[in-house]
Amino acid sequence: MAKLRYIDALALALREEMRRDPNVFLVGEEVGQYQGTLELSKGFLEEFGKTRVVDTPISEVGIIGLGIGAAMAGLRPVCEMMRMDFATPAYDQIVQHAAKIRYMFGGQFQVPMVIRGPSGVGLQLSAQHSQAIEVLFAHIPGLKVVVPATPADAKGLLLTAIRDNNPVMVLESLRMYFMKPDDLEAIQPGLSEVPDDPDFSVPLGQANVLREGKDVTIVAYSWMVIQALKAANELAKEGISAEVIDLRTLLPLDMNTVLASIKKTHRAVVVQEQWPLYGCAAEISAQIGERAFYDLDSPVMRVTGAFVPMPYAKNLENLAFPTEVDIIAAAKRTLGGK
Amino acid sequence: MAKGQKAALDAAKYRRFYEQMVHIREFEEECLRAFQRGGHGIGGYLHLYSGEEAIAVGIIGALDLSAGDCLIGHYRDHAYALAVGSPPGPVMAEICGKYDGCSKGKGGSMHICDAERGFYGGYGIVGGNVPIALGLGWALKYRQQAGVAVCFFGDGSMNQGAFHETLNMAQLYKVPVLFVLENNGYAMGTSIERSHANTDLTDRVSSYNMNRKKIDGQNIVTVYEEVSKIVADMKANPAPFFLECDTYRFHGHGAADEAKQTVVYRTKAEIEAAKANRDPIAIAAEILLEAGVITDDDIVRIHEEAVVEAKAAMKFSDDSPVPPADELLKDVYA
Repeated sequence: MAKLRYIDALALALREEMRRDPNVFLVGEEVGQYQGTLELSKGFLEEFGKTRVVDTPISEVGIIGLGIGAAMAGLRPVCEMMRMDFATPAYDQIVQHAAKIRYMFGGQFQVPMVIRGPSGVGLQLSAQHSQAIEVLFAHIPGLKVVVPATPADAKGLLLTAIRDNNPVMVLESLRMYFMKPDDLEAIQPGLSEVPDDPDFSVPLGQANVLREGKDVTIVAYSWMVIQALKAANELAKEGISAEVIDLRTLLPLDMNTVLASIKKTHRAVVVQEQWPLYGCAAEISAQIGERAFYDLDSPVMRVTGAFVPMPYAKNLENLAFPTEVDIIAAAKRTLGGK
Repeated sequence: MAKGQKAALDAAKYRRFYEQMVHIREFEEECLRAFQRGGHGIGGYLHLYSGEEAIAVGIIGALDLSAGDCLIGHYRDHAYALAVGSPPGPVMAEICGKYDGCSKGKGGSMHICDAERGFYGGYGIVGGNVPIALGLGWALKYRQQAGVAVCFFGDGSMNQGAFHETLNMAQLYKVPVLFVLENNGYAMGTSIERSHANTDLTDRVSSYNMNRKKIDGQNIVTVYEEVSKIVADMKANPAPFFLECDTYRFHGHGAADEAKQTVVYRTKAEIEAAKANRDPIAIAAEILLEAGVITDDDIVRIHEEAVVEAKAAMKFSDDSPVPPADELLKDVYA
C-alpha cells in the first residue's frame, strides 16, 4: 500500500476515473492552465486537453449549470469549487435544480455529477473562506454529501462519488490536503495508507470504526476525525478507552454503526466544525436519543464550532473551532467528570 | 416577413404548424377553464402560453430532435411539450397531478418534460434553466455532435446573474446554444420599462459579442424561416446565438392573477388590442390563406379538431388515477 497525502489521493481518484471513463471531465476556476489553486489538477490539462479540463471564469452559477446540463445529457462532470464556500453563489443551481431534477420530472432524468472542493475552518482564512457548510447540503433530499477524513477515503469516496448517478457534494478537508503521511502515521498507524488497486472504492453510507474502544463513542467526520483520534490517544493515557467513528458521508448517514457502538460504550460525543444550532451533530444526537436512549448512561455531548463568523486573529480563531482538548473534556463529562 | 407577403411555403409543414398552434391554444384554454371551474386537480401555479404560440412551434419546427437537437424551457412550458410531439393526455394529466402525467404527477404544470423527444423540461426559477442549457450545449460540443440546444426564457430572466454568467461562458467556449428570449413585455406584473435599465434587450447582450437578432415572434413564417437559417449556421460553425422574439401573453402571468392583471399592471385595452392585432394564430391564418396553404374550411376543421383533442386530453387526465402513496419517496435518488 502506498502512503499518500490526502490531496494526492484525491488527484489519483480523479485522474484514474478520467482515464477510465471518457465521459468524466473536470470544470472549474483555475483547474487547467493554473494547474489548480492547490495544484490538485497538476498535469491534467496536458494529459486530457481543454475539453476535459475546463478553465472557467469566476462564475460558479455557470460552472454548476454547465455541469447539470451536461450530466442530464449523459456526461459525468466533476465541478470544482475553488473553495466550497463559493458554492453559495450557486446554491440555487445545486438545491433548486441538481437536487430536484430527478424527482420533479418523475425519474425521467438523472444528474450524475460531482461538486467538490476544499472545505472547513482554520488557517486564518477569515469569515468568508473558513467555514463548514456541509449541513446546507445534507438537509436537501436529492443530494449526497461526502466528507472524507483520510487519504484512503479521499480516493475511495471520490471514486464512488464520480460513479454515482446522483449529484454528490464532496467536501474535502483543506486542513488535511497537505498533511504528511508520517504525521498521520504518528497519530494512528495506517492512517495514510491507500490501497494500490486502481478500482479501490468506498461505498457511500458506510461509517468506519477507525479506532475501537469500550468507554465512550466519539462520532466525527472530516478534519474532526483527526482531532478525535488525538483525543482518543490522550484519553488512553488516562485509562479511558474511546471508540472513534468516522461517518465518511453525511447523506446517506450510517446511524447503524453509531448505534452499535453506543450499545457497547453507552456514551457518545458528537463532533463537528460547524456552527452548533441545527447542525449535523444535532441530527445525530437526536437520532441517538430516539433510537438508543436506553443504551445511554449519560447525555449525548456535542462538540461544535462557536456561533460566530470565523475571526481572523489567530487567538480568536483558535477559540472558534473545536480541538482535541474540547473532545477530551466532553468525553470525560460523559464519564461523570467535570 | 410581413403580413400579406406572398411566398412559396412548404404547404404540409405550415399546415402542421398551424394545427399545432391551434391545438396548443385550445389546450391552454381548456386548462384555464378547468382551473376556474375546479375539480380536475389543478392547483398552485398555471402559466398559460396563449399569444406566444408561433415561437414554440416555429422554433421547435426548425429543429431536428431525432438527430440530437434539444430544448429546455421555463415554467410556461406546456407548449414546448406539445410542439415536440408529446401526447396531450399525459401533459394534461401532469398539470392535473395525475399518475399518468409525464412526470408521474410529481412536477405539475411547471415541470413538464419529454426525455425521449429531447425536451429537458420546464423549470420554476426565473433564469434557473439558462445555465443548464449551457451544459446541454456543452454535451453536444463535447461529443462533437452537430446539434443545437435551445433555451427558452422570458425578459425577467435577463435580470438574473445566472443569465449573464451563462452568456459569457457560452460565447467564450462557442457552445451551440440558441438563447430564445420570449419578450412578452412583462416579468410577472413588472413591465420591461420598470425592470430593465436598457429596454432594448437585444442590445443588452451586445457586450458578449454574441450573434443576435430581434424578430417578430407573432409571425410563424418569420420565426420558422429565421430560426432555420440560424440553426443551419450554428451547425456549420458552432457558436451561441441570442434571438429575441417580440411577443405578448394574452393571459395573466398565471391563471391565479387573471382577474388582477388589468387592475394592477396593464389595461384591458392593451390586451384587447394585442388580441385583435397580434394574435399569432390569426396572423398565420391570413398568411396561409393568401399563400393557398390552407382554406377557410381547413381553419374551421382544425379548430374543431383542437377542441376535441383538448377535451380528450382532459378526459384522459380525469380517468387517470392520482399517484399512489408509495410514489412519495420514489425518484429522489437514482
